[in-house]
Amino acid sequence: MADELKDVFSKKKKLKLMTHVLAGYPDLKTSQEWIMGLAESGADLIEIQIPFSDPLADGPTIMAANHLALKNGITPQKFFELAWSIKGAMTVPFIFMTYANIAYAMGMERFVSLSAESGASGLIMPDLPFDERNFDLFSCAKKYGLSVIPVVSAGISSSRLKKILNRTEGFLYITLRVGITGAVKRIEREGLEFIQRVREMTSLPLAAGFGISSEKHLDLLQGKVDMVVIGSHLIDLFHSSGLSAVLNFIKRCKARTRRDRTRSHTYHHGIGRLSQG
Amino acid sequence: MKRNKMKKQSPNSSHRYFGEYGGRFVPEMLIPALEEMERAYFFYKENRAFQQELDNLRRNYSGRPTPLYFAENLTELGRGCKIYLKLESLNHTGAHKINNVLGQALLAKKMGKTCVIAETGAGQHGLATAAVCAKLGLKCRIFMGEKDMKRQYPNVFFMRLSGAEIVPVKDGAKTLKDAVNAALKYWIEHLKDTHYLLGSALGPFPYPVMVRDFQSVIGSEVMEQLRKCEKRLPDVLVACVGGGSNSIGFFYPFLHNKDIELYAVEAGGRGPEKGENAIRFGKNPRTGIVQGYRSYFILDENGQVLPTHSVSAGLDYAGIGPELAYLYDTGRVCFDSVSDQEALSGFQILCREEGILPALESAHAVAYALKIAGNFSRKEIMVINISGRGEKDLFIAARELDAENWLKFLNEETENG
Ligand SMILES: Cc1ncc(COP(=O)(O)O)c(C=O)c1O
Repeated sequence: MADELKDVFSKKKKLKLMTHVLAGYPDLKTSQEWIMGLAESGADLIEIQIPFSDPLADGPTIMAANHLALKNGITPQKFFELAWSIKGAMTVPFIFMTYANIAYAMGMERFVSLSAESGASGLIMPDLPFDERNFDLFSCAKKYGLSVIPVVSAGISSSRLKKILNRTEGFLYITLRVGITGAVKRIEREGLEFIQRVREMTSLPLAAGFGISSEKHLDLLQGKVDMVVIGSHLIDLFHSSGLSAVLNFIKRCKARTRRDRTRSHTYHHGIGRLSQG
Repeated sequence: MKRNKMKKQSPNSSHRYFGEYGGRFVPEMLIPALEEMERAYFFYKENRAFQQELDNLRRNYSGRPTPLYFAENLTELGRGCKIYLKLESLNHTGAHKINNVLGQALLAKKMGKTCVIAETGAGQHGLATAAVCAKLGLKCRIFMGEKDMKRQYPNVFFMRLSGAEIVPVKDGAKTLKDAVNAALKYWIEHLKDTHYLLGSALGPFPYPVMVRDFQSVIGSEVMEQLRKCEKRLPDVLVACVGGGSNSIGFFYPFLHNKDIELYAVEAGGRGPEKGENAIRFGKNPRTGIVQGYRSYFILDENGQVLPTHSVSAGLDYAGIGPELAYLYDTGRVCFDSVSDQEALSGFQILCREEGILPALESAHAVAYALKIAGNFSRKEIMVINISGRGEKDLFIAARELDAENWLKFLNEETENG
């Protein structure tokens, strides 16, 4: 796996922050400021999404953002230029997330090699399962020194999960809900139980995301996973209050992860109704 | 016909493909649901009681077999081969869509699902789904692009009468592709109790196989019916092609007989320019991975899906089922297109010559068939699949063909309150 990812998880035991950003949203220049700002505000790892017209795993917030970014002219080429231009200045590692068709259109291998050249440490491709013929992203990424980050959810069979774990080198991305991306009010028991199930099967670092929208959610995940992923909520914040609100939220999250862990257990806000599992 | 015996998942993914096309390109969270569906489908495919139940519904609810009708006047007009029409339009709810709906809705019940969702473009698939759900006691939610709701309003009205909830889709171009996206996403959020009843032979495996099998009743009946009345097989089959369900169901039983020519007619729209048609197999066809399957799509050079246009909502879609993609590559099926205007004249011609009102989708097949009929001899037999009937296109046809009188009627209606 990419060494930068190893480093992310080797530092201390506190909860890490992976923050999502959509390249070209609302435009290239702002998204560049956004990325740099996330790094300065305490993100440990940045997930940069390349827009696609039909983002299957994304809820209304990120889908609308994809459409706006495309309307404002983002292309994969401009995306790689952006990545290339910031990679020297980046103080934290970053990974790329996009849908299979974007990589397919430029050639899967070319996409992977360009990603590696642009400084990415890993790739997330939510609509490319590991077992589709002719599309072995894991092997291809390995050749270029990138980690593939699989996204898994409750409901997955244990045999499938084992196969995925055997291929995974960086970390595993667990969705807290079986659903599409989008901020939610609370974290349901189903997600926490699934984390437990995965934890018992692997010593890989675990990240959890989908729906995180409050610092209080972090308390709930503290000690259960190694990293949290924050996505849609940032775009919602940007929409209502601008980039500074996004960065302030990340700063608050960062501060939260530094708190004494024993105290966090007294917080019960944001915990889903346990009967709903 | 080879029988597909896939009780267990095979170790590699090739059973999910037609050549290079198909697959199951979905987020991991959808895979348990698709595997459950695959197991259920291949189990019930061999289950006699299930097949009898389906057969009973086909006969007594949908009204199958649908007629194979010798169109004497159209034959005369075509100045070539003998033309038969397969009248899928005479199915209950007015189109071939119900063939697939009956199969999948029964399957949904067997899987213990209580809710069914579906996308719809022309509203025919939505209407069939709403009707069958009403009959089988399933809760029904239909996703429909806002643009399609406007242009196919009669079907919106009838779907609601059957108790379906219509969810207007406001994303993208607000047409069929956007409705598929919305339905897929809703499904991801409601996997436990909901079956996604996809309406065409596309999407992730097992849909392309399952929908094709349920629609193959069209081709099988044609074979049987022609054997009775002509004591032979057809020479040419013509069908319109949106996602591909009516065409693949019509062609499938004849695929292995290479002497039979197969034509699939795409929506030529307003012309060859970008965004003006729904031609997947134009000058530079592109392949891609969209909405869970690998196939041909209307894409830009970066892989973004482009907007489409057709006067017929059912053909206004950027993708095509993977089996047809494969049959395009092998040359087994010949793809061509007719324009909006040609389709509208096909619509009028069939009314005028045979007193049959086809859906605007099917009118594409009629228009194209008349173009090529002269290439065949009097001894040869052509069958056109009339996939649906045209009542739903009342408002489009009225505006195009009789705007003045129609407007007068509408004004009077409004004045009368
Ligand atoms: C009457 C009719 N014909 C054809 C189609 C096109 O779909 P397909 O290519 O799946 O048959 C539709 C779709 O809505 C339809 O309603």
